[in-house]
Amino acid sequence: MSAANLRLDLPDMPEAAAQLRLDVRAFIDEERKAGRLPPPERVGLGFSQEMTKRIAARGWIGLTWPKKYGGQERSALERYVVTEELLAAAVPVGAHWVADRQSGPVLLKFGTEEQRQEYLPRIVAGECGFCIGMSEPESGSDLASLKSRAQKVDGGWKINGRKIWTTNAHRVHYMIALVRTSVVEGARHAGISQLIIDLQAPGVTISPIISMAGEHDFNEVLLEDVFVPDKALIGQEGNGWNQVSAELAYERSGPERWLSSFRLIAELIDVLGPDARPSSQEELGRLLSHLLALRQLSMSVASMIQQGQTPNLEAAIVKDLGTKFEQEAVRVVRNIVSAENLTAHGRADRLKALLIHAQQYSPAFTIRGGTNEILRGIIAKGIGLR
Amino acid sequence: MSDNQQFFRDTAERILADRLEQKHIVAAESRVLPGELFATLAENGIFLMLVPEEQGGIGASVAEALAILKPAGSAAAPGPLLETMLGNGLLAQAGVAPVEGTIALAFVGADELAGAVTLHDVGWGGLADHVLVVADDAGRARLTLSAGADWLATPGEGAAGEPSDRLSAPSLPGASAVLDAAGSYADALRRAALLRAGQQLGAIEWSFTRSIDYTGERSQFGKPIAKFQVIQQMLAELAGHVLAASTLLDAAAVGLSETLVAAAISRVGDAADSAIAICHQVHGAIGYSKEYALNYRTRRLMAWRADFGGVEYWRGALARGFITATREQFWPAVSDAGLQGAA
Ligand SMILES: Cc1cc2nc3c(=O)[nH]c(=O)nc-3n(C[C@H](O)[C@H](O)[C@H](O)COP(=O)(O)OP(=O)(O)OC[C@H]3O[C@@H](n4cnc5c(N)ncnc54)[C@H](O)[C@@H]3O)c2cc1C
Repeated sequence: MSAANLRLDLPDMPEAAAQLRLDVRAFIDEERKAGRLPPPERVGLGFSQEMTKRIAARGWIGLTWPKKYGGQERSALERYVVTEELLAAAVPVGAHWVADRQSGPVLLKFGTEEQRQEYLPRIVAGECGFCIGMSEPESGSDLASLKSRAQKVDGGWKINGRKIWTTNAHRVHYMIALVRTSVVEGARHAGISQLIIDLQAPGVTISPIISMAGEHDFNEVLLEDVFVPDKALIGQEGNGWNQVSAELAYERSGPERWLSSFRLIAELIDVLGPDARPSSQEELGRLLSHLLALRQLSMSVASMIQQGQTPNLEAAIVKDLGTKFEQEAVRVVRNIVSAENLTAHGRADRLKALLIHAQQYSPAFTIRGGTNEILRGIIAKGIGLR
Repeated sequence: MSDNQQFFRDTAERILADRLEQKHIVAAESRVLPGELFATLAENGIFLMLVPEEQGGIGASVAEALAILKPAGSAAAPGPLLETMLGNGLLAQAGVAPVEGTIALAFVGADELAGAVTLHDVGWGGLADHVLVVADDAGRARLTLSAGADWLATPGEGAAGEPSDRLSAPSLPGASAVLDAAGSYADALRRAALLRAGQQLGAIEWSFTRSIDYTGERSQFGKPIAKFQVIQQMLAELAGHVLAASTLLDAAAVGLSETLVAAAISRVGDAADSAIAICHQVHGAIGYSKEYALNYRTRRLMAWRADFGGVEYWRGALARGFITATREQFWPAVSDAGLQGAA
């Protein structure tokens, strides 16, 4: 490995992306004017089925998918533009986020024609959402050790097991569950499959888990003799591990990995003026340099994906850097708020609320979607150390 | 990388491989310029990179100049290479012909030039053939070119052991010209600092690559230290710094936007800090020895971060560009900062 190999080409945005960006901004303006998008007091993805419907009405869900499923066949870079504009403005996109980012693409890549026909048009219309059923109580980073099992029965599968930390399971319609369908001695990554579970099905029990930020976002999902038909199997039986690995690449390099704290920085900048002390300006400048670097990295990786490459190393780096940046941003904003005495005596109440929430939320940044230690393991492999 | 950039990079790497040995790098700490290297760079027109073709130069872009300076930083090349290259470029902007020999650069406020003049911390100041003083004259760059011999030099050195001298004269010697464009002083300083960041990136990349190799060569507890997870995690962290710094530097070199240049300098500064800490940590004591090549890169990183404004100055400059924005204006400002691909 030499450092020269660790280099990203600068991307070219398609012409149409500029207009699309303006369209998204115009939409956001309208939403603000209509009072449907108040300045946020929390970080994280908000959840609003109504907002998802309005975004769907613009055609911005499933933007890259084939037209026959309701998509627009536009490029990954254009999708990038839409997502970063929505996230930067703190538009609540949680209701379609997982379906648009990964469930839909997984169905396009591995699903049957019947599955695509059934789910994709509804995702595009903002009518159905998905959640990710990977983690289990005993299987976090070591996902391949998972124990939930699907047993072959007449006409389908019978599932038993327990999924945990399942974000939005209580609000969306389907879960793509990763389960063991066979045991292959000495090959722990084999025998794992992906099944679509209707969360209304008998035998599914969803219990809330309250986060330290006081929110009900994730859940425990108990699966007791849950029957799913044969057509619920995604891709090949036993190939789930490879399918999930492909899915994780979509998950890692997107702007959501460095925009979680953005609204906090925006709020700070709103309050801060040119009279801020030099040390505050230096800290802020340092933070902004990381923000700009991440944005360039993220766009470059999106462009590689667009060109059909699989930039796994680079994507892992973007997530490692991005999530660390999100935490660092909270720390820097806190320091500046404190040094400049910005929120004392009832000044800047919104900044104060946002900062409290961001601090409570920030430990999750470097855990969800795979911990940074696991990511660095992937990076170490990529640079030839493992 | 464009074909031109590749060509300049290859040229620089070839010259550095042929003309720069460890003994020259060591000798620079005894105030000896690597003469052969500089003669060969001059023969190859490297010091005329930033002089337009109409004025007898190569007419290269800043991105192309970086393609020379990154390998120079990687090789720990001593001497006022950047300064001579940029100095000739600035002279050309003022319509002055390029000079023979080396140039030391000093950026100062115009008020520092009245009466008896003292310039501090001038890299290779006492040894350069020429001294080019770039003064901030109400935002415009006032250039004053003098001979090195016009100054009384008090030798000093920076963290890399390269000369960093105090120059004094009873009054400012030499001939002056003002670059008319508004903001020409900031523009010159910005280019100098960006090019310096390129040298830093080269030294960072060298240190990173050497550390990866070293952790494969060194065994403890019966296995290469690269197999220890802690070592892997540290180098993975550094990989992120390398990728982020190089990508932003490339982006900044394209449009030279004020925002991006300041951001790139700041980002490279963080990568440098991380490289110094991590590369030394994974090397253990051998890296701390003067004989081992790592310190010739890491000490340059320590010295270079303070040059041409210094990392903290650029961080402040970056923040000032955003600090008056409202929460709604902030994102458009980020999005319009000139990043590549950001339609
Ligand atoms: C906000 C949030 C939302 C989430 N949403 C979902 C969801 O929707 N669906 C879903 O399936 N999961 C979800 N998760 C779970 C998430 O994927 C896991 O938390 C994550 O994979 C880590 O697993 P764990 O929590 O069991 O930690 P563990 O794996 O037990 O790790 C604990 C610590 O040990 C370290 N560690 C573990 N193995 C190694 C190793 N080999 N080398 C070095 N260090 C190691 C980890 O890095 C960590 O620091 C969510 C988590 C959070 C916080």
